[in-house]
Amino acid sequence: MTTKAAERRAVHGTGKVYWRRLGAEVRRDKWLYLLLLPGFIYFIVFKYLPMFGIVIAFENYVPASGVLGSQWVGFKWFESFFGFPAWTRYLTNTLILSLMNIVFFFPAPIILALLLNEMMNLRYKKLLQTLLYVPHFISIVIVVSITFVMFGPSGIVFKLTEQVLGRSINYMGSPDTFRWMIIGQTIWKETGWGTIIFLAALTNVDTQLYEAAMVDGAGRMRRLWHITLPAIRSTIVLMLILRMGSVLDTGYDHLILMANPLNRKVSQTLDVFVYEQGIKSGQFSYASAIGLMKSIVSVTLVLASNKIAHLMGEQGLY
Amino acid sequence: MKKLFSLLLALAMLFSMMSFAAADEPFEISVLLPEFPADIDFVMTDNPVLNKIQELTGVKLNIQWGPNSTYSEIFSTTLADANPPMLVSATNARDPQVTNSARGGTFWDLTDAVNDAENYPYLAAGNHSIYNSISVDGHLYGIYRSRAFPRGGIYYRLDVAKEAGFDREVKTIDDLTELAEKLAAVSDDTYALNMCSYTDGTIKVITVAMGAPNTWGVDENGDIYPAHKSPAYLEGLNWLRHLYEIGGIDPNFAQISTSEWDNIERTGKAFMRFDCLDNAHRQQEWFENNAQATEQLFQSVGPVAKADGSISVWPQNEGFAGEILVMKKAVSEEDLPKVLKFLDWCNSPEGQTIINAGLEGLTYDVDADGFRYVPEEKSEEYSKNSQMYHNNVNQLGMGVPGNLENPKARVNRGYTQLRQRYEDLNVELAPYAVLNPCAGLASETQVNFGAQLDPIISDAAVQYIAGLISEDELRAAWDEWADMGGDKMTAEYNEAYHAAHQ
Repeated sequence: MTTKAAERRAVHGTGKVYWRRLGAEVRRDKWLYLLLLPGFIYFIVFKYLPMFGIVIAFENYVPASGVLGSQWVGFKWFESFFGFPAWTRYLTNTLILSLMNIVFFFPAPIILALLLNEMMNLRYKKLLQTLLYVPHFISIVIVVSITFVMFGPSGIVFKLTEQVLGRSINYMGSPDTFRWMIIGQTIWKETGWGTIIFLAALTNVDTQLYEAAMVDGAGRMRRLWHITLPAIRSTIVLMLILRMGSVLDTGYDHLILMANPLNRKVSQTLDVFVYEQGIKSGQFSYASAIGLMKSIVSVTLVLASNKIAHLMGEQGLY
Repeated sequence: MKKLFSLLLALAMLFSMMSFAAADEPFEISVLLPEFPADIDFVMTDNPVLNKIQELTGVKLNIQWGPNSTYSEIFSTTLADANPPMLVSATNARDPQVTNSARGGTFWDLTDAVNDAENYPYLAAGNHSIYNSISVDGHLYGIYRSRAFPRGGIYYRLDVAKEAGFDREVKTIDDLTELAEKLAAVSDDTYALNMCSYTDGTIKVITVAMGAPNTWGVDENGDIYPAHKSPAYLEGLNWLRHLYEIGGIDPNFAQISTSEWDNIERTGKAFMRFDCLDNAHRQQEWFENNAQATEQLFQSVGPVAKADGSISVWPQNEGFAGEILVMKKAVSEEDLPKVLKFLDWCNSPEGQTIINAGLEGLTYDVDADGFRYVPEEKSEEYSKNSQMYHNNVNQLGMGVPGNLENPKARVNRGYTQLRQRYEDLNVELAPYAVLNPCAGLASETQVNFGAQLDPIISDAAVQYIAGLISEDELRAAWDEWADMGGDKMTAEYNEAYHAAHQ
């Protein structure tokens, strides 16, 4: 990695030299650089300029006074949050849910993609793939409703467990089952869709490698282990790094749909806190402050995991 | 060049003509109102009720509906909207958001308007002590929506209770217990008490009846304490827990949406409710219109005495519920009088009648004595009309000068009898109403963490009622509330209370 940076310096120079060379390059290839312009403007207008709104995290924002007219309060909201004894609960709930997500949901699309890859009948594979994408397009509201119908107290799964176990499990209203229900729903909804990127990576595997391995007498599992998995390893690492960026993101819609007075304690994550403050209580500044804090942690995590990936010899994000 | 110029000129002329035409159009007032579930969708265009309002006032109403179950969310996003409606109905006038936004200049100051009897006679005729109590820093920002006081209470299915062997008036807590137990025993598939995920009102009705304070209490030293510290609060929860144990409450009540609440009674799944008393005659009306009911099916309960003979009642409101705010962003200074004139009209006899009851020949008829009524043969048609054209428009009603409806409703059938009883009960119960001493006071912790702290108490109550946690665990939840900021909130309220009562 360090050599790469040195290489770059050797080619492009440093400091003034670098900028002068860049200027010359831009002048030379101005038409090519012009192609970059729309994208550049898009990022400035829609991504960078709105960031100005972040300042409300340091204000007592009142919509009528506007962003510039509202009272400046500095770090008040951050102090208030860390002064709130329950903030650790919100953080732990977030981390537990995220960790469960990484352990149980993250590998699911990889496994499914590998299974699909082993399919011989192409038409059947295509059909199956299409069917697997369908749940992704179902709104989470519908998914929760379906779960309610099936796992609710008059649902088929509820009745079935009652028959089999002799006691009932309150799937929808118990803090013990809450997280598993969330993970289960996520797996059901997103696994199929998640296979896309891995399947794309799998198409890049050189078929000659398989043929050679077959000649050498390697079985299916051996080919999977020594050819397929190494081939998509960098994709997996890339996805994992990106996933690290959203460790603190649990989303709120799914959780508030599933939450009720019986399981609320485990449903309260940072995103739910932002929702409670911002939308429910109309404390836009408070919500922005917590959101900003989350973003800073996310960026740090992405950079850190990227670094770790580099150290382990992977290409990583950049 | 010449061509372009003439084209521009033509365009300019076209625009000026259009703006001239616009001047003749009615003044449009947009308003955000909460919407309660109905079987038929409200019709916005060619609506006779809205047309009549336009004919009488020259105002074209453009109503934006916010479903009641998520209204608080819609309300807070509307306040931040760049193009909000002109009028916004706030369901809680003491909401910190309202106070905060008012200080930030979100709403028009209406203090002068309600003191201007010449231009706005009906607004000026409102209750000025309520105006004062919802003012922020001495400025009034909204016209309150007056409500019958105390309004909160108990009603039950009269016919089912009679069949179950309870045929007397409920006068004491013991009567109430006996009634609930008998209703619980009616059938395995039905329940005595109708509960849903909104438990606040239900819990307050029973705990206050048992003698607990309403949200906050004042002890003998004149200090503020939270309601759950009162032993009567636990008694109330125990009452509900007992009813739950004997199968008198749907085991899944915590997962039932508020929008289902009415339907549970309509389908005969539950027979008693602790909520707003006026629901008794609303439900009666539904049964008369949809189930050919001719007899009085519901009964509302009067004062319920404790063992020591004392009576206390939870008031659903303080004589008002929320307010109508005028958004500065949407109403220019020159349009403000027009909007205020319209609000004034809404409080006039003519306005109140249309807003509360609809139109003669559409949602009601007038009998020989000059009272409003719904003739038997038209009840279905009028109910349908009401839902399509009128129903939720009543959310625009403020009624600040009191009920000026003309004609008034007739009193005879089951519905109207109950309605009359409702009005009588409000007079009878009002002296027993237990008010929340902290209603108008501010607590920083409540503003910042109310959304996190309040559910600790209410969730624990629900879990306790459902038998999921023991009394010790319930007390542990109260301690948790205290540690997480409840104690701080109590101290803040205490300070504010003492400052206000020096």
